[in-house]
Amino acid sequence: MNRPALLASVVLAATMTLAAGCGTAASSQQQAAPASPVAPPSLATSLATATGTWAVAVMGGSAASHNNFWQLFVRPAGTSRWRLTTPPGVASNGGLVLTGLASGSVLAGFRPSQRLGYSPLAITKDNGKAWSPGLFDAGLADIPGALAADPASGRLLALLTDGTTEISSPGGTRWMRLVTRRVLATSPAGTRCQLDSVTAAAFSPSGHPLLGAGCSRPGTAGIFSQNGRTWQLSGPALPAAYAHQAITVLRLTTSGKTTTALLAAGTGPTARLLAGWSADGGAHWTLSPPLPLNGVTLTSASPGPGSSLAITLTHRRAAVITSAAGPWRLLPVLPPGTATLAPGPSGGWNALAVHGTKLTIWQAAPGAQSWASAQVIKVPIPFGSSG
Amino acid sequence: MSGMNSGINVNDPTVIAAFKSALVHQGIIALLIFALLGFAWITVRAWLPAARGTSGAVSGGGPVAAPAEPAWRRLLRIGFGLLWVFDGILQAQPKMAIGLPSQVIQPTAASSPHWVQQVVNWAGTNWSYHPLQAGAAAVWIQVGIGVWMLASPRGPLSRLAGLTSFAWGLVVWIFGESFGGIFAPGLTWLFGAPGAVLIYAVAGGLIALPERTWHAPWLGRGILAGTGLFLAGMAVLQAWPGRGFWQGGSHHQPGTLAGMTSGMAQTPQPGFLAAWVRAFTAFDEAHGFAVNLVVVAALAAIGVAFLTGRPRLVRPAVIAFLVLCLADWVLIEDFGFLGGLGTDPNSMLPFAFLALSGYLALTPSPVAAAQPASPVPASPVPASPELATTGPVTAGWRERIRPASVRQSMATASIRSVAVAGALGLIILGAAPMAAAQASATADPILAESIAGSTAPLNFPAKAFRLTDQHSRTVSLASLRGKVVLLTFLDPVCTTDCPLIAQEFRAAGQLLGASARQVDLVAVVANPVYHQVAYTQAFDRQERLTQVPNWLYLTGSVPQLRQVWKDYGIAAQILPAGSMIGHPDIAYVIDQAGRVRAELNTDPGPGTTATKSSFAVLLANAARNALRPS
Repeated sequence: MNRPALLASVVLAATMTLAAGCGTAASSQQQAAPASPVAPPSLATSLATATGTWAVAVMGGSAASHNNFWQLFVRPAGTSRWRLTTPPGVASNGGLVLTGLASGSVLAGFRPSQRLGYSPLAITKDNGKAWSPGLFDAGLADIPGALAADPASGRLLALLTDGTTEISSPGGTRWMRLVTRRVLATSPAGTRCQLDSVTAAAFSPSGHPLLGAGCSRPGTAGIFSQNGRTWQLSGPALPAAYAHQAITVLRLTTSGKTTTALLAAGTGPTARLLAGWSADGGAHWTLSPPLPLNGVTLTSASPGPGSSLAITLTHRRAAVITSAAGPWRLLPVLPPGTATLAPGPSGGWNALAVHGTKLTIWQAAPGAQSWASAQVIKVPIPFGSSG
Repeated sequence: MSGMNSGINVNDPTVIAAFKSALVHQGIIALLIFALLGFAWITVRAWLPAARGTSGAVSGGGPVAAPAEPAWRRLLRIGFGLLWVFDGILQAQPKMAIGLPSQVIQPTAASSPHWVQQVVNWAGTNWSYHPLQAGAAAVWIQVGIGVWMLASPRGPLSRLAGLTSFAWGLVVWIFGESFGGIFAPGLTWLFGAPGAVLIYAVAGGLIALPERTWHAPWLGRGILAGTGLFLAGMAVLQAWPGRGFWQGGSHHQPGTLAGMTSGMAQTPQPGFLAAWVRAFTAFDEAHGFAVNLVVVAALAAIGVAFLTGRPRLVRPAVIAFLVLCLADWVLIEDFGFLGGLGTDPNSMLPFAFLALSGYLALTPSPVAAAQPASPVPASPVPASPELATTGPVTAGWRERIRPASVRQSMATASIRSVAVAGALGLIILGAAPMAAAQASATADPILAESIAGSTAPLNFPAKAFRLTDQHSRTVSLASLRGKVVLLTFLDPVCTTDCPLIAQEFRAAGQLLGASARQVDLVAVVANPVYHQVAYTQAFDRQERLTQVPNWLYLTGSVPQLRQVWKDYGIAAQILPAGSMIGHPDIAYVIDQAGRVRAELNTDPGPGTTATKSSFAVLLANAARNALRPS
């Protein structure tokens, strides 16, 4: 073969080799992914205030078609009936986050969705009969603890999508930056924790900001409190059994004089959940026994009365813990579609189960072996209005 | 791949009607081009008797001594010329204007690496901005190249036709076929690797070879060796384990080939063709290993036979290859051009032409082989041999452009020369409007018109209002007198349309340039719950409107707003269960005298970059119209 023919052949051969290399690339891309830390629970949760019990759940169709609408329900104190009370005027496709204010008022924040980049707020003083608009000119993070309030001072904390925390003046009229994720991560406390992400925000009983985080440093619980202008690690000291496990703060709430934290230890199917309680702003903690996840996934976490904590897991499992003295108590197998648990009217728990536009409230009295249907709410989902 | 998909339905009647209209108009121009050229040709021949007897005696009008075009080149030239014409006709399908970027280019690029997507996205976005011009350009350029190749058997213009085919083939291969998908997984010769149009380009390159190489002994061997090496490589790729070709189907999941063909069978087409493809799919699902074994063995054997360059081996290999190509074209590629968005008959016909031409070049006919390969004596008529598509030229370019020479060359031009000139006219007819459109950074307003519909001119006094702007200043319609007002109604916490409409207003203001000083872009809050000034400010920050000097976002108390909504036919409804406020997307064009001159439907549709740009053009045009004295 002479030179021109050889040249043409080589050019085609090079193309062919390139093609062969590219074509087989797909088969070499299947590598085992490392086990990831336990993710914070979804926005589906509940909140107990002096005037009522509130619950957030997503209803409707698929997120892809923007037909999933987050709804807010309330059960006024002293009643057993729930009602729909989603604040009007803003599309709720991005999610709703809640926090309790003083004297039973509740603040709801709309997460950004689609082309809305900031978070309108809505405040009610009458269990959702009327809402007043408020404004947070940034996007709230996609975690149930993205908003927190200090009922005593009226100040608010807001966790943003980029990990920044902002704090408001009393009444939420003016906002200022409290700390960015980067500043927190590079602080001495953040360095000790090897901060990965900010996952929760709350006020301590004395009104100091607390931030929860995921730490890459094994055995370190990333709860930060502000001391003057510096941040310090205030997480519980964990037993030696957790010394080699990544710890993530999943929820952080304060009710009355107690701060409650939900922690995840470890990754993947061997991860365990722990609850912790502190009555002094994080100086001292009491820890619960661990709850092994055994491969199931946390789907929601709801604070209950008396600093109790109720969680739902995949495979229709649920558990409740009331204090460090007792173990995690497994609840009866959840009704299908359960989005979250909420404190029930008579000391038991309600399971809020969603099927499209229908919300079914299930009731389990303390010690019950099964759930009983208590109420059905048909929600007029505005399909297509955000498509 | 932002921008490539205009988001408009491929069956949109407005765009289809406009595309058809553009093609009809340009088709009439094309006919006029040919008619004028023909008329000029006849006229010149009538006026210049010298023309008679010198042209038309030899096909192509060349001198008698010019070498005959070898069979391999004639096959490539006519074969690929016809393919280009056919591809051009396919580009005239109604869905092409909108559908090519979103339904053809984007899916092809989707599985390719990011850098390929970026390259392709540039062209796809340009197409989606100017669908009529781009669609028509593809029609006329490809028909033009095809006619040019068919009409020009010899001479520099014939070689130039090959070069043009090569260049346009590469353009289509890169931007239309995403490099033929060679950087994507799942590459297989069975489905068209390395891209049909790359073979068009290779053929164009071969047609462009100088005449002295036409009978070179290495040419046929080179074509066959290159093809053979490629086929052998494809055989290795086809045999590569883990790519799913060895499995026909398992656990009710089709293998790679069966999955591909079952998808092709879904293409709209005559029932019997789909039945053939489905039958092959079923056969492959049952005997996937055997089918792949046959394909691998056939590709390898044919490739090796081509590589030997021995006619005794090549002949049966070419026959086998033609049979394989035909089977693949019918049963696997499903002809490639069906379904309303097919751009070409895929790769098997080009491969067949290429292999056959290699064989013809390898085994030239005795007559052709006996003809001299060296340049033949110059034409006895030296002037302008290009237009005459004659053989080699000896006269310099200065000589050729002398008036006498031009007249002489026109007199001696053949009907093929007229066809070549007409083909060049077709290419310019397609390329010129596209080039002009490319000079504009904005999208064709046809996209917005297809969403919003047409508007009728209005002329009535605009209702007065008095509201508060984003800086807490009082603004009334009377205070805006003397300027054109583009008035719309936006919800500051809207998640869908309102931010898009605001961006379109902002872009319209930029398009207005100096005229923007005479235009105010005004929005009134359309939310009875979230209507405070703080929300208009937050919205302005979100949409980067704070620096737009003629932007006003007005609000007021709920009663004030309700009055304005009523006056302008806006129903702002509070909807339940997490819905945003429902309100119509409308813009009013109010002239400098305070009269409503147009009402525009501003529903932004899919809100792609192309439609946003298109709406901005529509709004800017509306403002310009209102600025003109009536």
